[in-house]
Parts: sequence; C-alpha cells; structure tokens
Amino acid sequence: MRKDVWLVIAGMALVTYLTRAPLLLALARRPLPPRLRLWLRLIPLAVLPALALPLILVDHGRLVASPAHPPLWGAVVVFALAAWRVNLFVTVAVAVATVAVLRALG
Amino acid sequence: MDRAQPFDRGLEGPVIVAGARLAAARAGFVASLALVPSVFVYGTVFGGLAVQAGLRPLEVWGMSLLVFAGASQFVAVPMLAAGASPLAIVLTTYVINMRHYLMAATLAPAFCGFPRRWLALVAHWINDESFAIAVARRNPPDPWFYLGSAAAVGGSFLGGVPVGTQLGGLVAEPTRWGLDFAFPAVFLALVAVQLRRRADWLVALASGALAIAVALAVPGNWHIVVAGVIVSGAAAVVLEPEAE
Repeated sequence: MRKDVWLVIAGMALVTYLTRAPLLLALARRPLPPRLRLWLRLIPLAVLPALALPLILVDHGRLVASPAHPPLWGAVVVFALAAWRVNLFVTVAVAVATVAVLRALG
Repeated sequence: MDRAQPFDRGLEGPVIVAGARLAAARAGFVASLALVPSVFVYGTVFGGLAVQAGLRPLEVWGMSLLVFAGASQFVAVPMLAAGASPLAIVLTTYVINMRHYLMAATLAPAFCGFPRRWLALVAHWINDESFAIAVARRNPPDPWFYLGSAAAVGGSFLGGVPVGTQLGGLVAEPTRWGLDFAFPAVFLALVAVQLRRRADWLVALASGALAIAVALAVPGNWHIVVAGVIVSGAAAVVLEPEAE
C-alpha cells in the first residue's frame, strides 16, 4: 500500500479533473441550442432527487420506507419548511435536529 | 451639467463591475454558510477515518486538495487500506465523479466571459453543494456567486480535513447527531424551491424513483449519473423548449 499511495492519489486527481474540466471548457464559448439549454435546466431537477432520495430511502442496499426510519421524517420536515420559504440554514438545522432526536428516542 | 459626470467612464466602469462581482461572490459565500458546519465535519470525519485507516496526514491533505471530491475519497480510503489495485481505485473514483460532467455542462454557459486559463482552474472547484446552491438560485448561475459558494464549501472541507487528521476522528459518530442527514436535506430543500411546473415535479419524482431502483440493483454510485442523464434527457426530448 505505502509506495502506491501517491500514485493512487495522482490517478484519482487526474480522472476527477477529467470529469470537471472538459465540458466546462468546451461549452463555455458557444451559444447553446434551445433544446440543449432545456436539458441543462432540467439536469439539477433530476440530479438533486437522484442524490437525495437514495441517501434517505436506501440503506446498505435495502429499501427502508417504514415510519420508524428517522430520515423519512427529516425529509417531510424539509419539504414542509421549504414550502413555507424558510431559509436553507434553518430548514437544514431543524431537519438534522429532527433526525437526531428521533434516533435518540428510537 | 458638465459636473454631472466628474469621472472618466473608463475608470468608473471597472470599479462598478468589480463591486458587483464582489457582491455576487459574497452573496454566494453567505448563501453557503448553512452548509459550512456539515462540510467542515464531513472533512474532519474523512481526515480522522483516513488516518485511522493508515494514511499519513500529508497524504490525506494532498488527496483532499488534489482530488477535492469527498464521496470518492471516502470510498478510496478503505480500498487503499485493503490493498486494492491502484487501477481499481482510480476507476471507482472516476465512476463516482462522473456526475461532474453534468455539473460542468450546466455551469459552462455561466462562465462564457472567462479566459480559458481561469476555466481550467475554476473546473477543479466544481462540487455538489455549490452547484446545487448556485443553480437553485439561477440557471445558468451567476459565475461569481458560484465562486463565492465554492470558496465557502472548499474552505470548510479543506479546513476540516487537517483538524480530523490531528484529532484522529473525534467526531466518530456524525450519524448520532443527525449530521449525515444534512446532505440529503440540503439537496431536497434545493429541489423543493425549484418545483414550479407540473413537469418539474414529474422530472424530480421520476429521477428519484429511478435512482432508488438503480441504487438497489447496482452497487456503487451509478444511480446518480444514470437517473440524472436518462430522466433529464428524456424530458428535454419530450417537452417543448418554447414552453420555458
């Protein structure tokens, strides 16, 4: 392991940079066609739930959707507060506290 | 009336532009403060775990600065400790970080006025949290707002890592304090404020459902890229751009 650590770090850094730089450089200069622009607007709407929902509902490769699962109630709190236009910090803090309290009780 | 414009416009213009950029960067920084405690703790947890797994502090700092992609770093450390092949670790890192392609493509129009050399540097600071915050505010986002957010997120992650390597994982149980939930909470809150049209709800729900299905069926982090690309791509084909 020892002698390879910096080699691995360099490889990780290289491939990660290759996921970031090419499209940023290639797409920054030209005007985008309307349908491509529509796609780019929809990407966060698709990526954010794809990031969030499995973090909440999938645990160690299994679906956990029971009412005894604290993150489920955390998600409800987030949606309720976001609907009320409560700011992000308060929303996240209340949701995190909800999950912590439910875990402490359960 | 001659006194109405006492300054040479050639001097005044750049000052106003610089002020607006600074204001946007500061707004991005402030908007990201909600995430600073969580990202900082995330960094300390990573630093602590990596040291416990047998990495030297300098290696942990180097990885965090050069790779700067927390999820893939969390996956790489136990692989390194278990003596996995360098190629396997690098490939896994690549797959986990493929989601950056989506973010880079979305951010690109925002940075159209920037010199290429700057873009090459900005690219390294693409991260989930800044992307989510900046794009939820406006799409394409304000580039300076994005950079301000990246400074807050990057600074707190890179500040947390050395604290973690020195403490060796004092915050060993972030789940006990619910801190692990901060990440999905932020992502959900940001998507909630973007849901305006019925089609937006359909895209979000379909992507979340597909991501869960893929996450259950396929190990690793494929579900983010797969669901993100397929659902947004299909919606972009079906929906009318004029309806924007």
